[in-house]
Order: sequence, then C-alpha cells, then structure tokens
Amino acid sequence: MRFKTLAAVAALATVSYAAQAHGPTRQKVSESIEINAPADKVWALVGNFQDASWIPVVEKTEGKGGNDVKATRVLTLKGGATVEEELAKYDAEKKTYMYRIDKVDVKTLPVNDYSSTIELSGDGAKTKVTWRGAFYRGYMNNDPPPDLNDDASKAAVLGLYKAGLENLKAKAEKGS
Amino acid sequence: MRRHRLRPLTFGRRRAAPTTGPSRPSPCRRGEGIAGMARAATLALALTASPALAEEALVTAQGANILAVVDLDTDTVVAQIPVDGAPAGIALSPDRRTAYVTRPEGHGIAVVDLEARTVTSTLPVPGGPLGIAVNPKSGAVYVADWYGSRIFVISPDGAKIETEIQVGASPSGIAVTPDGATILVANREGNSVSVVDAATATETVKIPVGEHPFGITLDATGTRAYTANVTSNDVSVIDVAERREFGRVTTGERPYVVALTDTRGFVTDQYSNTVTVFNLKTLTNVAAIDVGDHPEGIAASRDGSRIYVTNWGTNTLGVIDATTLKPLKDIPVPDGPRSFGDFLR
Repeated sequence: MRFKTLAAVAALATVSYAAQAHGPTRQKVSESIEINAPADKVWALVGNFQDASWIPVVEKTEGKGGNDVKATRVLTLKGGATVEEELAKYDAEKKTYMYRIDKVDVKTLPVNDYSSTIELSGDGAKTKVTWRGAFYRGYMNNDPPPDLNDDASKAAVLGLYKAGLENLKAKAEKGS
Repeated sequence: MRRHRLRPLTFGRRRAAPTTGPSRPSPCRRGEGIAGMARAATLALALTASPALAEEALVTAQGANILAVVDLDTDTVVAQIPVDGAPAGIALSPDRRTAYVTRPEGHGIAVVDLEARTVTSTLPVPGGPLGIAVNPKSGAVYVADWYGSRIFVISPDGAKIETEIQVGASPSGIAVTPDGATILVANREGNSVSVVDAATATETVKIPVGEHPFGITLDATGTRAYTANVTSNDVSVIDVAERREFGRVTTGERPYVVALTDTRGFVTDQYSNTVTVFNLKTLTNVAAIDVGDHPEGIAASRDGSRIYVTNWGTNTLGVIDATTLKPLKDIPVPDGPRSFGDFLR
C-alpha cells in the first residue's frame, strides 16, 4: 500500500460531494500465484480473516466475529495507517472468502467501494491462489488527478496483491 | 432505464432477412439436418414456428472499450465494435437500427449503426454521461450527468445537445413512457425519481423512493415503474399516473437494474451475485437465482421467455429461463460487460 506525501492529494480527495457517489467506471484486477505447498497448508496461513499477517504491509490485525459473515477487522499498517474491513462471504470447504473495505484513506489505498476475493485451488502438492479485486478509483469526481485515476488505483491494488501473494508463497514454501 | 417493449411479431422476425453484415449467421442453420431440397420449406416453417427468440444483445464492455454484438440464436459474439471512453450505458432508436452508447470517461456518446456495425459519430457531453434512454416517439436521446443534477436532450441523429433539464442529484437510469410524453429519472444521490414532461422539458415532481435508486424500468403500458435502490436493498414500485411509490420489494445486496416479463420482475443484485425474482402482482419474492460476479444490466427477451444479464466480474452474458428460473448458459463476452440500458433488439 502506498503512502502519499502530497498534501494536495488529501485536499483533492475531500472535494467530491458529501454523498458517497463514486466514479462511473468500476475497475477490476486479478493476480494469481502457484505455491509449492498443499492447499490445506496455504489455507492455514491465509484462511483466517482475523490474521492478515501474510500481507507484508500489515503490522497488526484486530477484529471480531471470527470467520463469520459480517465479521470485521482493522488492519494497522506499518507506518500507522488503518484499513477497516468486513467479511462478506466465507467458504472454508471451497477455501475462498470475500471481504470489503469499509473505510480506508485514499492516501493509503486509492480506492472506493472496494471488494476482494481470495480463492485457493489445490492440486496435491501445489496450490494456486487467486486474489481478485473490484473497486472504483480513489478520486470520486470527474477528471481525476493522475495519482487517483483508474490506472493509479489498479496499479496500487495490483502492487498490494503481488507483494501479498509472493509473501504468502515464501511463507508456505518455507514451512513456517 | 428500459422500456419493456411491445413489439409486433412481424417486427420480431426482421433479422431473418438477409443482410450485408459480414458476420451475420445465415438463417439457413435452422434447416440443418434436413436434406438440402427440403431446407427452404423447413426454414419457412421454422420462421413461423419460433416467433420471438431471434434477437441480439448489445453488450457495452467497459473494460475492453468495445460494444459487443451477441447473436442470441447462436449465443456467440458476432461483432466487436470499438468504442472508447469506457462505454457503459446504451439505448436504441425507435427503429432499433441505431444504438447510442455513453462513454463516461470519454465524456460523450457514440452513435452506432447496428446494421453496418460501426460507430458513425461521437458527440462530446459534459459531466459524466452514464444513463441513457431514447424517446420512443420523437427519437430524442436523453443522457444523464452522473456528476450533476441534469439530463441532456440530444437530437435523434446524435449530432447536438438541444437542451438540458434539471432533475435530482446524480441522475442514473432513465425510462420513457410508451407515448413519449413522460420521462422518469432515477436520482441516485437524491433518493428520488424525477417525473419530467417531455414536451416542455421540465421536471414536474420528484417522487421519494428508497436509498440510491439506480436503474429504472417501465412496464409495457407505462403504468408502473420499478427502480432498484442500491443501498436500501429493495425495489420501489411507482404508480406513474399517481406520481407516487406504492410498494417495495426486498432484494439481495446492492440491487442495480430491474427487468420485467408480464408476471415477474428480475433484479440484478451486484453484491450478492444473484438475480432476485418477484411477483409483479403480489410484490413478493419468488426466488434468487445465482448468476456471475457483479451482475449489472438485465433485460427480458421480447417474448418474455429468457432473461439476459451481464456479469461484469465474470465477463459473461448469462441466459436464464424466465419460466423455470434456471440458468441456461453463460456466453463469454469482452471485459467488463455492463449494458446499462435497453440492450436487446
């Protein structure tokens, strides 16, 4: 996740009108990785909604509701920013879950109305993990500045997914 | 958004006529399996016997910047027309030969000749052009400004903006009564539906509805309108003549657009990945059908036998049997299908 330094960005982000209208163009990204470990082992690392420590930028996960739908968690990132998230779907048998971001500063992650799905598919010793996201860009109004436009939002989410999945792979294959 | 169309049967067979389009499937496939000599006779019989399934779906693929034409006999994409600016909304001319496509990131609309399968012109439109509809009598094109509180009135040839009409905040779906006299606009941020007199281009009243109405659909007679309230997770049913909401139907999460057959309403639930089905007479729920990821646009075939739904996340056009409520097929389409509007012809 990125941390913007320009004060101007923060100012721009609050310009849009009070109601939560987002842009007219939802974005999506998807990233996959193949891990040389059984799905059960990978799921043990990634399948607990109350523990997002497999995402490198996450310092602390605090939440309630376990892995039940509507469970919540607050991620505290390195540097102090927080992300509030809510579990929307959870299927341990299929090893997949979907959650939404309820609250995040666009300086932390330049997105609005973000939802995300993590999905595992196992083939014996190997596991394919797919992380998908759907969201609107950080800037909710027309003619976005470059760092809050559609491309910037996609790049930020994709960067998060890549780093997260690579870290997950390293953890799972190391056996920790 | 969409009128539930009344269409004479003769009109419904228009596509059986030979055209010059390069990718039009030949109607002769209906006769396949029959000896060649009998083919013509079989074809004639088939054309009489299956009155209304032959249609096309026009899919705005927002991620791919394409208007895809899906042949609903063969369930395949038969043309991909490039349209830049993140195409989203779609409406059709009264003769169904021209499509008007909104390009919210291009800030404009594209006019598409559906016979030639090509963009014939574009028109810049200020703000965030997203929702769109066509007056079935005059052919005037109405475009909603997502970022503002106005709809634009554009000439039927798509060449110029004639005027703008003040409505509620963040207008989204638009529907026009079959007589062309009344325009209904769902005001997403305004939590209302504007009733606009088409002749004088003025708003006459705002009808309060649920929270964040997005798509709006009129029935075939223009008697009732149905708008999907995105954040209150329900559909407001409006009595058009009385200018009031008289019923509410619970849906799945984040309902978006409503399609109608004679007896049922079908609502895309964006977050639930379902289509909520309700009874139009009793306004009670009938079923929730699992569809693809982030279903958006939805419409009924003109004979009411099929429901078509664009699944934005899964890049498919889902086909549902409107009677058995069983999903029949998922047709792959280009990235980010939305088809927000009147997309079947």
